[in-house]
Amino acid sequence: MSVTFQSIRFGTVEIEAQDVIEFPFGLIGLGGLRYTLIDRNPGTGFLWLHAVDDPALALPVVSPFQFFSTFSLQIAPEDRERTGIEDATGAQLYVTVRATPNPLDITANLRAPLVIQEGRGYQVINTNEDAPLQAPLFALPAQSRIAS
Amino acid sequence: MLILTRRPGERVVIGDEILVTVMGVSGHTVRLGIAAPSGVPIYREEIWLAVKEENRAAAAAAADALPAAPLETPTEDSPEDPPPVDS
Repeated sequence: MSVTFQSIRFGTVEIEAQDVIEFPFGLIGLGGLRYTLIDRNPGTGFLWLHAVDDPALALPVVSPFQFFSTFSLQIAPEDRERTGIEDATGAQLYVTVRATPNPLDITANLRAPLVIQEGRGYQVINTNEDAPLQAPLFALPAQSRIAS
Repeated sequence: MLILTRRPGERVVIGDEILVTVMGVSGHTVRLGIAAPSGVPIYREEIWLAVKEENRAAAAAAADALPAAPLETPTEDSPEDPPPVDS
């Protein structure tokens, strides 16, 4: 079974019903209870997390592991209780991305990743000390510069 | 805004399901205990504001705002001209 929705960015989008991700609490400050992942830039690692019920609501996301080799997620205790997710093993992880005209200025929010598991998604707070709100996607992180 | 004075150990009840307890006061620091239904997200305000701002900034991206082709991560130690290799 397929689901069709409208997007101000991409026109009419058709997805499989199983690709709808429920976000019981929405995204922080944005809401949206049902999203899906759209791959409009194959090979780049960028996906769009697009609301199914709001044609204007969509965010670019990437897998943190693809761009940040040292990324790790520690889910805040209150989020563990709220989501029932103890750790992200076996879950899909994404981080939201701030797109900028110069690709070298693009940053990702490692502080509040999206954890998707069994058709449900949650934005959680990463309590890992080394998880900035704006981590440059295409620059070497300071630690790896020192390490290498 | 409702302003209440509470002593350590005293509580504020919000609705029928949210209990805020003043756990202790030390100098300029107040420790709060919050009991709420598991469906109520609780954040420190500065984190909530910052994430909200990042989410909104991300959601402002136009359809063509992302790189159309894969980008290589620039590496600082790759020399402009590779040294000649002895064969």
